[in-house]
Amino acid sequence: MPTSILVVDRVTKRFSGHTAVDGLSLEVPPGVIYGLLGPNGAGKTTTIRMIMDIFVPDEGSVHLFEGAGSARDYAHRIGFLPEERGLYPKMRVLDALLFLAQMRGMDRRGARVRALEWLERLGLSAWQRRKVSELSKGMQQKVQFVSALLHDPELLVLDEPFSGLDPVNADVMRQTVLDLRRRGKTILFSTQIMEHAEKLCDQICIIARGKKLVDDSLTHVKEGFGGRHLIVAFDGNRGGADAVFTDRTLVTKLEDFGPYAEVEMATGADAQVILRALVDSGARLSRFEIAAPSLHTIFVNLVGPDAATAEGRTHA
Amino acid sequence: MPRMFAVVRREFVERVRTKWFWIGTILGPLFFGGMILVRLLTGSHSGVERRVAVVDGTRNGAGARMVDGLRASLDRFHIASVPASASVIDSLTAAVIAKQLDGFMVVADSTFDNGIVDYRGSNVSSLADMEELQSTLGREIFAVRLERHGIDPNVVRNAQITVTMTTRKITGTKVTGESGEQAFALAFAMAVILFLAIILYGINVMSSVLEEKTTRIVEVLVSSIRPFQLMLGKVLGAGAVGIVQLTVWLFSVKVLAGQQDRLADLAGVDHTSGGGAAFHLPQVPTATMAVFIIYFLLGYFLYAAIFAAVGAMSGSEQEARQAQTPVSLLLMVPYLSVFGILNDPGSPFALWLTYVPFWSPVAVPVRWSASPIPGIQLAVSLAVLAASVLGVTWLAARIYRVGILMTGKRPTFREVVRWVSAG
Repeated sequence: MPTSILVVDRVTKRFSGHTAVDGLSLEVPPGVIYGLLGPNGAGKTTTIRMIMDIFVPDEGSVHLFEGAGSARDYAHRIGFLPEERGLYPKMRVLDALLFLAQMRGMDRRGARVRALEWLERLGLSAWQRRKVSELSKGMQQKVQFVSALLHDPELLVLDEPFSGLDPVNADVMRQTVLDLRRRGKTILFSTQIMEHAEKLCDQICIIARGKKLVDDSLTHVKEGFGGRHLIVAFDGNRGGADAVFTDRTLVTKLEDFGPYAEVEMATGADAQVILRALVDSGARLSRFEIAAPSLHTIFVNLVGPDAATAEGRTHA
Repeated sequence: MPRMFAVVRREFVERVRTKWFWIGTILGPLFFGGMILVRLLTGSHSGVERRVAVVDGTRNGAGARMVDGLRASLDRFHIASVPASASVIDSLTAAVIAKQLDGFMVVADSTFDNGIVDYRGSNVSSLADMEELQSTLGREIFAVRLERHGIDPNVVRNAQITVTMTTRKITGTKVTGESGEQAFALAFAMAVILFLAIILYGINVMSSVLEEKTTRIVEVLVSSIRPFQLMLGKVLGAGAVGIVQLTVWLFSVKVLAGQQDRLADLAGVDHTSGGGAAFHLPQVPTATMAVFIIYFLLGYFLYAAIFAAVGAMSGSEQEARQAQTPVSLLLMVPYLSVFGILNDPGSPFALWLTYVPFWSPVAVPVRWSASPIPGIQLAVSLAVLAASVLGVTWLAARIYRVGILMTGKRPTFREVVRWVSAG
């Protein structure tokens, strides 16, 4: 089992005058769903294009499957859904799928079997002989999604896979992604919608202005940003809670509303110790919660309001 | 390689499936069949009878003598002699307008000095009529002039024979069976086919590149196949369509030309009398065919690569159409020079057309069909063309590689130069 399926090593990409990606490094271990998060123009698409060998980095390098080849050499092991979607409008659905599967190194016969399975699964069987242009936008996106994973790749790279999808199709896509991880596949996807990342990702990397801000497992990121907050509610009897709250080894900050209090834990303090101290003091608790901030809060805190209006678009 | 083959296959299959392919493929033979029919129909027309008046303004009987001569040698012309008078031109013009007469000519004493005959009529655009009248008139005037110098009219009459020149082209050291007219028809047909085929199939490559660019599907492709292979696959695929279509056309031309009698029957044309006007398919010597095929293929590759680059540089169908105009004009040069080449295949002009790679694909087959090209010239031309195909393809691939991923405004010339020189 390789330790990482994808290593991006200090890559930089400049476009006439502005730096889209600036010394970015990341590592994707096998079998995880990895989220590449960032505001518009953060450099997500440029990073993905460098991973896919569409752009050559000005500095740094990309390593796949611990080998020396580029994404093109591993095309049969990688599935790719680009940010800007498009299929051959005049081709028939099945033909377009077969052609793209051939581009990924499959033979037509094998591809046909898989394509029919997938079309069946996504309710598109009746459309296989129709031209792509006759399909609705949502259906086209599904077809494209199928084209990215038809060859059963080990690594799936999805650029903004949920953008423009209605909730039903977004859910189909999410289930499929989760199913792929269950089968041991690795998925790297970019998004600016934190709710999607929060529900799906094992690991995340937040970038802004081409630079990495955080890169860790979702749990660690959440612990690092909050996880130090407690919400405590009392069931009438506060007992000796005040003594616990004034213990500077346990609590650094307190907002007391009487029956309800928000507590910021001291560094090194353990929520379990505080819980026991409160129970021992005779307080009756109706609620004791380690308040994890949402990924959205973390994102806004990290990226800041100014970065959300990022300078210039990346080169499309 | 299997990926490039998949590109070739897609390009071919998708093109062949379009209705334009079928329309084009069927239209070719239809057009040719129509051409044969027109020849048959107009051919039989040249046998129709004409009524022509001769205004005799001569004072020594030379006019009457000429009318006799015309009547004797022109079967299908009814010649009427009209004495000169003040209003004769007007009344004859009215007769032509009223279609009682096809035309009239004015013969005066001066005609036998300066050889000028004034002919007016509704049939002046008929080459067959005019040629026949002119050559007969020439003979008669010649005879009258000899008689004036005291030569016995009977001697003159016996001395006159009709001359028919049969022409044969010399290729290398052999005399081929080709006639001059056939050589011309062949050269012209080749120029048309080369020009049209190279432009049409080249533009197919361009629009295919553009489709992948505007739909952004190219990103998926470029992450699986080298841009150069992708471009090459497209060029080969569209070229294969071209070869199929050309083969269908040439084959149908052969079949149709062999079935002219049946075609004439179908059209209700009497082909036994107008037999001389039937369309004769020029015999194409193997060497000419080889030159044609080699130059077609090289020319197609050269222009298809340029068209691919143009497609990659453009952002929309409209932009591409504008940008390809100079490319098409470049190929117009040899196409418009066909007559020049045929008139003097050894001229410095023809030599230039032989060497410049953007022109030689049309010019060389045309020149070859007119007269043999020295081996050294042909070798230089081929070498320059082949080298250009490689060079231009290399350049085009570099432009293509960057261009297909660009969006937004059309690149400036300086930017394109940077694309070529980059990495």
